Amino acid sequence: MNQFWRNIRPEQLRELSLVLIIALAVLFFGSQIENYYHPRTFNRIASSVAILAVVAAGQTLVVIMRNIDLSVGSIVGFTAYFTGRILVNSPEMSPVAAIILAMLMGGGLGVINGLIIAYGNVPAIITTLGTLAIYRAVLVNGANAESIITSALPTWLVDLPRLNAFTFGEIQIRAVVLLALIVVIIFQLAVTFLPWGRRLYAIGSNPHAAEMAGLPVKRTTVSVYAICGALCGIGGFLFLARFGTITVVAAQGMELQVVAAVVVGGVNIFGGSGSLIGALLGTILIATLEQSLLRWRVISEFWRDAVLGLLILLAVTTDSLILKNLRSWWGRSTQTDSPSPATHQAEIEVEIEEVAS
Amino acid sequence: MTKPILSIQDISKRFGSTQALDSVSLDFYPGEVHALLGENGAGKSTLIKILTGIYQADSGSITFEDRPIVVRNSFDAQGHGIAAIHQEPMIFPDLNVAENIFISHRNRGQIVNWRKMYADAEEILSRLDISLDVRSPALGLTLASQQAVEIAKAISLDVKVLIMDEPTASLSAHESEQLFKLVRSLRQQGVSIVYISHRMEEVFALGDRVSVLRDGKLISTAPASEVTPEAAISDMVGRQLGDTITRTDNERGETRLVVSNLTKNNVFKDVNFEVKAGEVLGFAGLVGSGRTDVGLALFGIAPADSGSIAFAGETVNIRSPQQAVGLGIAYVTEDRRGLGLSMPMSIQSNITLPLLQKYLTRLGLLKTNDERDTAESFRKRLNIRTPNVDTVVGNLSGGNQQKVMLSKWLNIKPKLLILDEPTRGIDVGAKAEVHQIINELAAEGIAIIMISSDLPEVLAMSDRILVMREGRQMGIFSGESASQESVMTAAMGQANLSLGEAV
Repeated sequence: MNQFWRNIRPEQLRELSLVLIIALAVLFFGSQIENYYHPRTFNRIASSVAILAVVAAGQTLVVIMRNIDLSVGSIVGFTAYFTGRILVNSPEMSPVAAIILAMLMGGGLGVINGLIIAYGNVPAIITTLGTLAIYRAVLVNGANAESIITSALPTWLVDLPRLNAFTFGEIQIRAVVLLALIVVIIFQLAVTFLPWGRRLYAIGSNPHAAEMAGLPVKRTTVSVYAICGALCGIGGFLFLARFGTITVVAAQGMELQVVAAVVVGGVNIFGGSGSLIGALLGTILIATLEQSLLRWRVISEFWRDAVLGLLILLAVTTDSLILKNLRSWWGRSTQTDSPSPATHQAEIEVEIEEVAS
Repeated sequence: MTKPILSIQDISKRFGSTQALDSVSLDFYPGEVHALLGENGAGKSTLIKILTGIYQADSGSITFEDRPIVVRNSFDAQGHGIAAIHQEPMIFPDLNVAENIFISHRNRGQIVNWRKMYADAEEILSRLDISLDVRSPALGLTLASQQAVEIAKAISLDVKVLIMDEPTASLSAHESEQLFKLVRSLRQQGVSIVYISHRMEEVFALGDRVSVLRDGKLISTAPASEVTPEAAISDMVGRQLGDTITRTDNERGETRLVVSNLTKNNVFKDVNFEVKAGEVLGFAGLVGSGRTDVGLALFGIAPADSGSIAFAGETVNIRSPQQAVGLGIAYVTEDRRGLGLSMPMSIQSNITLPLLQKYLTRLGLLKTNDERDTAESFRKRLNIRTPNVDTVVGNLSGGNQQKVMLSKWLNIKPKLLILDEPTRGIDVGAKAEVHQIINELAAEGIAIIMISSDLPEVLAMSDRILVMREGRQMGIFSGESASQESVMTAAMGQANLSLGEAV
């Protein structure tokens, strides 16, 4: 096995293949849909990626730690609505203050999730299923059947989605897309270079061992849910900016897209492995499919959710069938320069048996 | 012995570039205990997995009662009366004993006849002379009882060949003795038993025939009466093994830990001892005697309810592992997989995990080069056999995993090191290495508490031995008064306390 293959981990192979699948999808829809290769297509996909990617980044952190957050859709809706309400009432508020406000709101809801999970010892899936309903109910009651409408919002916010950061030939990179990319990159660096990130992976791969190693498991859990909530807050803010009109059902069902993006992006649903870049690629694939299927008349819109469901199942199935074997193959091949054949053999046998069992 | 019930001829199995089994032929006779020996990775486990249908051999054949058979899966194996019992019993904790015994039966009809099931279960247990309530859930059973249930399960399936893979690894001496009785009674009933163990005493106490595997090849097979433990060991390792490592004396420092009247309700009561710097205090006792619980209390995982702990001269109240680590207490668990290591992570990441704050740049980022240096130095110092420290821990052998766990805790430069079953389930060579490391650490002035079920190990490696029984401290034995007999007598509850130095 040559040096090149040895340096590529199976997870990276997964990311490479995602890039390939996205390219194939674009080529396919390009041949099916008239005028598909238009800057507007790119912008549509990119704007929906921006919202989803920020929320998926938060979800990725949670899933790496062997947890899940089903309340993300409700938090996005909640922050979108109430940030909008506050901006309607005090239009003079600065953009930075508004985005911080949204993050604090979302972060607060995330802290509630984290406290219940860490200190109440309630499984994450149950806790966030409960808060999914509760946060939405608080939103519905707080809204008093009034919606936020675009015309009442400050103009800087309404214009934000079309604000360009810079231009590549015909393709314009919007500020919101840049913001999402920055968030993903910041957290990718954080999980790689901060002890906090290492702890996340350690807790996800073996929570008991993490506790035994003296790691602050509960505190880390709360911090991750707080960050996930705050990122949902940014997502809510972007949602508000993009759609302008916010009803009480805003972002309902978003958890399906977010979990799909994370899982398709190769984040192990059992914790301990995955990357934010992977989740971003997953988001891009899902947003591309969503936006393209919208314009592809062959499949009825009612089937679009089914496509998402299918993608989740496909991703997890390939994970358990292909990636696992690939990983053990990779583990074996990187050990070929073992100095002693006898101990080498011992290790391999143990490993093979573990994979089989 | 008449005819073999099960024979394998020229069985070979290859994994990638590794010849796990190389043309192995063996015969298994009814009413015989056939001991299989070999270091980790010698091919024992692969052989068992081929016999139970988990793997298929690449070549060779299996003959059962003179007919060639094909074992495609464990259901096939059961059909031929071949069953295996593993080191960790496979028990369904929420089902009761009777349900566990009959879990694999498929011909008991569609509707459960509870009364008949309980009666049948009781009949099987009494045949084996096991006293267990068949209606109680398996949840609360001791490891030994769980294994008894596993054996009853095998018997209920009319087993003809029973494979036991390190059945005593987690059992205390007393529990092992009960298991041996079971094994002997099965042998009397004509069952052919394949017995795998790292413990030589057991192999020679039970085995009628001893076969040694090394590097996938059958090295020797002979009646136990014609083999000596020394010969078997030298077959296993293929080289002459020197004297086993024993404790080398070193200077003692100040008193590091003083434990007074430590009590945890319903678990242990009034435990008193002290450990000096540079001293190894052995903790002996049956499994469930509270040894490990005292260790867990000292490490803050399950804090004690009353009593006092003085560490390095100061009274401390340890409530969490974080606090214990901060004080300089390290606890190397007996459960590598469950509590010890993050299997999907690399050697390097595992080693630095408890002390990540020591690897930060001024900006708070991780210095991965420093981490690598640390990991590399432990790899060399503890002789972890791996090409590099990026290797995923789950891919290592048990002995190497144990060394990674030791490295992880030595890296915090502990003042007190608690070792729980430090050599459990690792091969002879790695065991000697771990013992050598313990000697070196004591010589460096670390206070060591070594909890172990391996009586010869406790005797060889401890300066003093604290014996526990059912949550009570039975006494502390030092050098001269400590012998297998005295320690075991105390652990079994007939201690003549005048033997131990009263504390």
